[in-house]
Amino acid sequence: MNAPATMPATTAQIQAAPTRNIMIVGVGGQGVIMISKVMALLGQKQGLQVKQSEVHGMAKRGGIVFSHVRFGKEVWSPTIAKGDADALIALEWAEGLRWLDHLKPGSGAFIADTRRIVPPFACRNRKTGATMNYASETPAEIVSRVADGYALDATSIAESFGDSRAANTVLLGVLSTTLDYPIEDWLGVIEQLVPKKAREINVKAFEAGRAWAEAAQADPSLRFDHAIAREKTYAKPQDFEVRLEINAAWCKSCDICVKLCPERCLALNEEQIAYLKAPEACTGCHICEWLCPDFAISVNTVSREPASA
Amino acid sequence: MNEIVRKDAVRPAFDIKDYLRLDLMPHFMCPGCGHGIALRALLWATHELGIEKNQLAVVSGIGCSGRVGAYIDANTYHTTHGRPLAFATGLKLARPDLKVIVITGDGDCLAIGGNHLIHACRRNLDITCLMLNNEVYGMTGGQVSPTTSVNRLTTTTPAGNCEPTFDACKLAEAAGASFVGREVTRQAPALKNLIRAAMEHDGFSFVEVMSDCTEIYGRKNDLGESPEMILSQKADMRPEAFGNVADQPFRPNRLVTGVLAKQERPEYGRTYRARAALERAKKGR
Ligand SMILES: Cc1ncc(C[n+]2csc(CCOP(=O)(O)OP(=O)(O)O)c2C)c(N)n1
Ligand code: SF4
Ligand code: SF4
Ligand code: SF4
Ligand SMILES: [Mg+2]
Repeated sequence: MNAPATMPATTAQIQAAPTRNIMIVGVGGQGVIMISKVMALLGQKQGLQVKQSEVHGMAKRGGIVFSHVRFGKEVWSPTIAKGDADALIALEWAEGLRWLDHLKPGSGAFIADTRRIVPPFACRNRKTGATMNYASETPAEIVSRVADGYALDATSIAESFGDSRAANTVLLGVLSTTLDYPIEDWLGVIEQLVPKKAREINVKAFEAGRAWAEAAQADPSLRFDHAIAREKTYAKPQDFEVRLEINAAWCKSCDICVKLCPERCLALNEEQIAYLKAPEACTGCHICEWLCPDFAISVNTVSREPASA
Repeated sequence: MNEIVRKDAVRPAFDIKDYLRLDLMPHFMCPGCGHGIALRALLWATHELGIEKNQLAVVSGIGCSGRVGAYIDANTYHTTHGRPLAFATGLKLARPDLKVIVITGDGDCLAIGGNHLIHACRRNLDITCLMLNNEVYGMTGGQVSPTTSVNRLTTTTPAGNCEPTFDACKLAEAAGASFVGREVTRQAPALKNLIRAAMEHDGFSFVEVMSDCTEIYGRKNDLGESPEMILSQKADMRPEAFGNVADQPFRPNRLVTGVLAKQERPEYGRTYRARAALERAKKGR
């Protein structure tokens, strides 16, 4: 790391500084590491010892990325134990919930983007319009459960400045209101770390995050988006209906459709003729139709109006 | 009711019944036989290309593969063993307006008809040849064929086949076929796309379809039931898109699939007609 640009704080200040544990979580490509670099440089600027560790999952596939940053007079372990984080910054909503138990009970700040990045494996069922296995807790519920909660649509705020990637800096702006370090130091390290052409957007994003947090601290009803209700997450709504026809007179009981249907929704009946055993599981993928050597199956997908609410 | 059948590229409104001789159905092939899947892919490609049935001529040889052509509701010509390419050559030269498809088997095309194949490749007449390779003479009860894998049991190799096998695609390419491809029936949409590309190609196109003879070859060699046989095709294949990334990929895939060779060469029919016209002019006819 670069040497701190400004003079370190006085020895007395350092002696008084408590160890700070900051945890940053998200998925690949969101800028978790950028936030942890900001925090590490910021700690160094205060003349503190900094320890940082990180884990990248299958980042490119939307896998988990998390980082622990600890700074204080003397820091030994680079990892934060359960219940020890002063702040948990979540760039992705469900990732934030995953690590909630690491937050310090009674004082820890939970700062999360409410934007959902639903991983492909949340979809347990390939049927179009299937329910997805994604956290259903609302921002209201979570904010009421933690000591100091902030749930904001940081991605939209960043988008309003022209780059959704600055969402991480919006969250930094929120975090800055919970830690008492000089604003110049925050802006200084951000400017040092982001590419020149992105500086202006990031400064705006940081200030927007601060402004949002100050308003939320003044009026707790602003700490989360009330519009996000407890609801199931659906994949793309199904706009067609599957009609599967089996021509029993042509079926020769070869079992290919039964064994190759990805949803296992076909079976042979007591006469050894294929039939649709689980129509609700059929996705209309056509595989049975394509592979039936006897042309006994025809799969028709018929458009219909998307189901009204 | 206000219903619209979806008509998009992935799910075309293709109804195979429009292309079959329904009075002959169900067809005579054994349960699970891969030839049926290949037939569907051919008709699907024809449908996508928008070829009218009366513009389509299917010439087939003798064998279970040859019999496949008989179910197509178009101009079909069930010829003699090993000779469909010879019949098709005459047909295409006489009627260049027809889309001529040859359906043949590994025995039909490579054993008794081997010479016809190499000369058809050499001439580059605009014909699409689908060779349904099930590694055996299915129709006559399971004798060894030029593509039977080494060690496989057939009625004529009771101790296991010890002849080396033909790579039909390499043979066709070396003989001059201007389009050569291979696909397994398991990948039905990819097979349809390959056949379609072959039909669109101007010149002689050769497509080797890896098909399963479930009842004879599968049983004799204990290759499992029909689903197991078709599922195991995937373990063997190596899409051409993998390219030469690794000579030894993570699985010992021996079967290269996809378009294996393609080149632009003068189409024989046009060359022949031009020469004939010149000759007629010379003789003042
Ligand atoms: C001149 C002649 N010789 C031999 C036969 C017997 N015969 C009929 S089909 C066949 C082999 C077919 O094998 P293949 O072409 O691989 O087709 P498959 O049945 O496997 O699809 C043979 C040898 C014949 N009908 N005519
Ligand atoms: S279309 Fe056929 S293979 Fe696909 S899910 Fe339905 S029954 Fe199964
Ligand atoms: S694949 Fe076709 S012939 Fe085989 S069991 Fe299924 S419907 Fe019957
Ligand atoms: S004998 Fe083999 S190739 Fe012929 S129809 Fe039966 S399974 Fe198919
Ligand atoms: Mg054969």
